[in-house]
Amino acid sequence: MLRSIDDFDTLQKEIIRKRDPGRKLITICNGTGCNALKGKEITKLLTDELKKQGITDVTVLATGCHGFCEQGPIMVIRPSGIFYKGVKPDHVERIISETIQKGTVINELLYVDPRSGKPLVYEKDIPFYANQKRILFGYNEYIDPTSIEDYISIGGYKALAHVLREKIQPLKIIEIITASGLRGRGGAGFPTGKKWESAYTAKSKDSAKYVICNADEGDPGAYANRSLLEGNPHSVLEGMIIGAYAVGARHGYIYVRTEYPLAVKYFGIAVQRARETGLLGENILGSGFSFDVKIAQGGGAFVCGESTALMASIEGKPGEPRVKHIHTTTSGLWDRPTVLNNVETWANVPLIINNGVDWYRNIGTEGSKGTKIFSLVGKINNTGLVEVPMGITLRDVIFDIGGGIKQGKKFKAIQIGGPSGGCIPEEKIDLPIDYDSLTDAGAMMGSGGMIVMDENTCMVDVAKYFVNFLMNESCGKCTPCREGLVQMNGILTEITEGRGKKEHIDLLEELSEVVKTASLCQLGATAPNPILTTLRYFRDEYEAHITDKKCPAHVCKPLITFRVDPTKCTGCQLCAKRCPVKAVSGAPKQAHTIDQKMCIKCGICYDSCKFDALEVQ
Amino acid sequence: MTDEKTLNKNPAKHGSVLVLGGGISGIQSALDLADAGFKVYLVEKQPSIGGTMPQLDKTFPTNDCAMCILAPKLVATGRHPNIELITYSDLKKIQGEPGDFTVTINKKARSVDETLCNGCGLCVENCLVRFKPQKPEKHDAKKDLAKDDLKTVDDIINTCGRSPDALIPVLQAVNEQYNHLPKNILKYVSQELEVPLSQTYHVATFYTSFSLKPRGKHLIKVCMGTACHVRGSPRVLDEIKRHLKIEPGETTDDGMFTLETVNCLGACALGPVVVVDDTYHPVSSSKVDDFLKKIRKEEG
Repeated sequence: MLRSIDDFDTLQKEIIRKRDPGRKLITICNGTGCNALKGKEITKLLTDELKKQGITDVTVLATGCHGFCEQGPIMVIRPSGIFYKGVKPDHVERIISETIQKGTVINELLYVDPRSGKPLVYEKDIPFYANQKRILFGYNEYIDPTSIEDYISIGGYKALAHVLREKIQPLKIIEIITASGLRGRGGAGFPTGKKWESAYTAKSKDSAKYVICNADEGDPGAYANRSLLEGNPHSVLEGMIIGAYAVGARHGYIYVRTEYPLAVKYFGIAVQRARETGLLGENILGSGFSFDVKIAQGGGAFVCGESTALMASIEGKPGEPRVKHIHTTTSGLWDRPTVLNNVETWANVPLIINNGVDWYRNIGTEGSKGTKIFSLVGKINNTGLVEVPMGITLRDVIFDIGGGIKQGKKFKAIQIGGPSGGCIPEEKIDLPIDYDSLTDAGAMMGSGGMIVMDENTCMVDVAKYFVNFLMNESCGKCTPCREGLVQMNGILTEITEGRGKKEHIDLLEELSEVVKTASLCQLGATAPNPILTTLRYFRDEYEAHITDKKCPAHVCKPLITFRVDPTKCTGCQLCAKRCPVKAVSGAPKQAHTIDQKMCIKCGICYDSCKFDALEVQ
Repeated sequence: MTDEKTLNKNPAKHGSVLVLGGGISGIQSALDLADAGFKVYLVEKQPSIGGTMPQLDKTFPTNDCAMCILAPKLVATGRHPNIELITYSDLKKIQGEPGDFTVTINKKARSVDETLCNGCGLCVENCLVRFKPQKPEKHDAKKDLAKDDLKTVDDIINTCGRSPDALIPVLQAVNEQYNHLPKNILKYVSQELEVPLSQTYHVATFYTSFSLKPRGKHLIKVCMGTACHVRGSPRVLDEIKRHLKIEPGETTDDGMFTLETVNCLGACALGPVVVVDDTYHPVSSSKVDDFLKKIRKEEG
């Protein structure tokens, strides 16, 4: 238990002194993605194998997410930096006996650059990493998320100690954050310093104020916050403590969605460790400042990511938003002034304090400073989390870091900002990414989900998907959102099922306008964005569905037919065997045919065929 | 529609109609008849017309708010020159034949001069007798719980806290323990945390992670996140639905599987992803068959 700032300095020096920078480490990703591919099992096998081979000077480090999820489970051997991808339990023995013992590289585990076709040995040479700027996310690879010592060894809690040692005035901290140009990473991009300032000046009826970390990352396709919480929970916690000091809060909450069990667990451990170390709780480092954090779990409601709904949920009520004539910084949780920031925003705070305003302002564009973590998913080669400076172009993200589109297909659009965001088409691929440019293009930053779509993605289907999602997630409190989305979903269903009429497009636009203007909270106000942007950039696809009754991307079931190309079919019978309704027939080694009357268009034959003999029309 | 033309200046010429019951159907009948020119007597046993509809939130099939439909009709009925309201009254006797009825009505003592009353409602607010709070009979929800359950739930409440703001964590723990939220436990939790039962149900039905029906032995969650969607999760879901013959949210008859959909698990690189009892599986639609067989086999 640390009782003073000097105690902390001693501890920090002690930890750093004990760490040998050249120590041999096998780091293995234990994030949710890699764990699903047996990351945890491999970690255990590694430890056992080291023991078996009598090696004592190598440590196995189970870290949080490295970000390169496509290639998981990922292993990096330090200090050399050898990078192995797709490690399987069978490989463990060879990794220890060859790479660790003799220093030989196992070629089959190396990442092959799809552009040059050459295998790359070291992590730093891989374009996915080399083109990023990982000021927040990079530490994930070096620390065990359950160890506070690991975090302190990379300079953790230094910012907090600095603030307490110098007794920096709260207003001065707020000034620093304002000057840094940090904007809310939750999506809307509200200036963080300004938010803190209004909570600082707001009067509370009993002097209680709250800080909240919003980790209800509900946008489908976005998981940056989760990986930050799973990989480096202390950085978020440190940010919250500094924020609480600045606005004068004694209590804080973190609201994590229940679909992220590992994040809840690791943040819980972090809070526990920080409390035991004296960095959280009563009289932090003997400074007289007290602050504690509680963890609240969501219940699978998307709308709870909205600030007022989130606060209602913490209070034990159904997560329904309220009208925000009065900002939450004046009257939020339990009607007290409350600062609510996103996970990533909080994690930025210690960085700004440590490195200074000028350093931070050097990254990014005029209006948007710093970096942003995006989750690059969908039909892209390098699925994963990428941290890039604001202002980078979409082309750089998709082709340099993302490695282009899967199976060499044609890039069609990128959907940014979750269900409330929009689709940006190919012609805008040189758009620099920052808050303002994305809003101009009809999308928004959102929580940083980037879903890449290729020529096989139907934009009407995508719009329907998001509207359907929001329709189910609408809390039902206000009429425009509750009823409007049902109507829009109905119209889109008509269109995708071949019953579309010409006037439907105008009707969709009109409804969108009403829902956008009249909804109570941002869920409704941004709900029409997917429709509006797809209409703006892909109107021809809507028209093809309506007038030609065709789905150009071959997605909408009622508008497509499956056929066997007799010239390619080898008669292997795999599709006939797999077909659930026995609609495929044909003798062995002869071209098969599909009975269109029986076909339910499930697409299993298409997925099963190894000879590319099935086509969709 | 009650313009001068439709109004019957001399109702006796058309005869008169008595409508019994001042609910929405009675009101509508009275209005239609009155517009057609009949003199209408609307008899209602309650002190005021309206019936059950004002107590409803939404109405089938349009989901419109009940009061929004009813209120204008109430006003129209009250103002209609062809309608005479006879409230707080019972029907005693009917005599005669179609076209010539004589009806006896028992009008209860209202003790208010209806010709002078302007409906301000001040008397109601000021009446001491009527506003005595009526306490419902107290029922201890504890009695409906088995001993083991009582201990389990008490432990949960003690860990999470015995206050209204602990409602969600308590329900989460109960849901995890019992695989759903049993009715008797909901009532007990409501009583112990001093949250009205209606609010407890509101919370229990609002969040998708709570289930009021028992779930199956294995919980299959199909990720419907955007990344999984563009990689073909709808087809995977269709396949699982066809195999298990259930829709999302339902449980198979043998109690083995419950199927649910979830909005993004953040394992986008593996998509389409299916989670069975917290284990993540990358599954494509053509593999669903093998995949389910494997789970069944493990089960034995």
